[in-house]
Amino acid sequence: MSAVASSVDQAITNATLGRSQTVCRYFLRGVCRYGEQCRYSHNVSTGRLEGERTISSPDVDAKPSTSRPNWVNAPIFVPRQKGYVTQNEDDEASGSAVSWAEIVGGPSEHCVKLNMGEPFSLEELCPYECPCPYGEYCRYRIHLELCEMCDQYCLHPTDQAQRKKHIRECLQQHEQAMELSFAIARSKDKTCGICFDIIMEKAGREKRFGILPNCNHIFCLECIRRWRQAKQFEHKITRACPECRVSSDFVCPSAFWVETKEEKDKLLNDYRSALGAKDCKYFKKGDGKCPFGNKCFYKHALPNGDIVDVGLPKRARKVHGSQNELIDLVDIYLLEYFDQRDYHWLELLSSDDISESSDYSDEE
Amino acid sequence: MANMAVSRIKREFKEVMRSEEIVQCSIKIELVNDSWTELRGEIAGPPDTPYEGGKFVLEIKVPETYPFNPPKVRFITRIWHPNISSVTGAICLDILKDNWAAAMTLRTVLLSLQALLAAAEPDDPQDAVVAYQFKDKHELFLMTAKHWTNAYAGGPHTFPDCDSKIQRLKDMGIEEHDARAVLSKENWNLEKATECLFS
Repeated sequence: MSAVASSVDQAITNATLGRSQTVCRYFLRGVCRYGEQCRYSHNVSTGRLEGERTISSPDVDAKPSTSRPNWVNAPIFVPRQKGYVTQNEDDEASGSAVSWAEIVGGPSEHCVKLNMGEPFSLEELCPYECPCPYGEYCRYRIHLELCEMCDQYCLHPTDQAQRKKHIRECLQQHEQAMELSFAIARSKDKTCGICFDIIMEKAGREKRFGILPNCNHIFCLECIRRWRQAKQFEHKITRACPECRVSSDFVCPSAFWVETKEEKDKLLNDYRSALGAKDCKYFKKGDGKCPFGNKCFYKHALPNGDIVDVGLPKRARKVHGSQNELIDLVDIYLLEYFDQRDYHWLELLSSDDISESSDYSDEE
Repeated sequence: MANMAVSRIKREFKEVMRSEEIVQCSIKIELVNDSWTELRGEIAGPPDTPYEGGKFVLEIKVPETYPFNPPKVRFITRIWHPNISSVTGAICLDILKDNWAAAMTLRTVLLSLQALLAAAEPDDPQDAVVAYQFKDKHELFLMTAKHWTNAYAGGPHTFPDCDSKIQRLKDMGIEEHDARAVLSKENWNLEKATECLFS
C-alpha cells in the first residue's frame, strides 16, 4: 500500500499549498497551461473528478485504505476499453477487463449511478481525456473522434469545418515532418570539402552548409566563407569553388544540404528575399549612397517605403579610369560585401534574443 | 585553427594510405615528427620520362593556416627539370602558389607533381639553365635528366661518358655534385666546365 501512502502524502501537500483536490479538467485533456502552478490537482490518483462531489464521501481522502467501497470513485483507474461498464453490468462475474478500482471495491452501483445522471450539456465538449472513460454514460454528449493522422482525439463529430481544418493542418504537419526527415537524411553524411568534417556532426553554429549558387560542391559555411575571405590569393581564385573552380558571387547559408535544382532555387530565392527585406546599411533609407547600386541584395527604400532604383554601382569609377578595371573592381567589392554581409545576416537570424539583434542594428 | 590543419592532415594521411597509388607504389607519404606539420613525400618518376625508375623524396611543410594556404613543398632529391631548381629543389607549380584551392590534398599535390615531371612547362621555368637546355638541346636535356635520376634517385640509366667527365673534374679536386652541376649546366662540355670552375 506504499503507493496509496504516497498518494496521501501528495494530497496533504496539495492541501497545504491551498490546491483544490479536484482534478484539473484541462490537465485531463493534456492542455493545462498552468502546469505546476495550477490551482487544481494534477494528480489523478488522489484528486476528485469534477462533478463527483455529491457522491464522494468526505472520508475518501482521510482514510482511503479502510473505506473500500469509495475507491470506486477513482474513475481514472478504469481501463480505456469502450463500454466496460456495460460489459460488467451484463456479466458481473466476468474476470476479463476489470479495473483496479473494481478489484479493490468490486463493481459498484455507484459507478453506474454516477454516470447515469442528467446530461450536463448538450453543446459542451466532454472535458475528460478521450476516449472518455464513461463511454456512452458520459454526461457530456459531444465527444471528439480519433484523428488517424495524429492519433489524437481532436475531430469534432459534426463540425465539418473543424474537421477539414484539422485534417489539413495534420497533412501539412506531416508533409513538413517528411521534408525535414528527408533533409536530414540527405545531409547527414555530407563532408565539407575543406575541413573534411561531417557537417551535421559539427557543434552548434558550425553545423551549417554554405551553398554556392553555381556548383554543387559541399562545404560548411564557416570554411567556405573563410576561403572566400582569404586575402593571400586573387579574388578570381577565392571566389571560385575550391573543388571545381567555378565562380560564384555569394554563399547562401543553409541548415541542410540541397540536392535538387528546385530545392536549391527555393533556398536561394528565400535567401535573397530575406536579405531584400532588410534595409541596406549604406543606402540608409536615402541618406547614404550604396556603392553596389542596384546590384545590392539589400533593400533600398525611402522612409515612406518607396523602393528606389539607384542605378549601377558607381564608386569604382572614381578609383579607376579604365572601364575593364572598373568591372573587376566592382565584382571584387561585391564579393567582399556579400560575404561580410551574409555573415551579419546570419548572426541576426540565428539569434533569438533581442540584444544581439540590436547589436546588429548598431553595426548598421 | 591550427587544429583544422592537423585534423585535416591526419585524415589526408589515411586517405593517401588507402589510395590506389600506394598500392602501385607511385606515391608515398610518411611523418617526420609527431606534430603533423612536417611530412616526407615520395613520388615515383613517371613512365616514359627521363625520371622513370627514380624515387624522388619531397619535403612537405604544412602551414598553420592549412588548408587555406598551400603546403610548402620542395624536392630533397636532386632533379634536373625546368620547373624545379637544380640547386634548392624549389618547385614552380601554380597550385603550390597562387592557384591553390582549399579542397586540394596532399594526395592531389603529389599527383600534380608527378604530372609536372611528365609535362614540364619550360616557358614558366624555375631553373632558367635547365629550361634553356630543355628547349634548345632537348636530347642533351634528356640525357642529363636520366643521368641525374640515376645518380640521385636510383634510376636505371647510366652514362659512362658523363661519369668519366665527372671523374676528370673530381681528380682536379672538385666535389662530385658540383662537378655534375657545372657539366650539366655547360651541356657536358668539359673545357667550358673547367673554365667556369677555375676562372
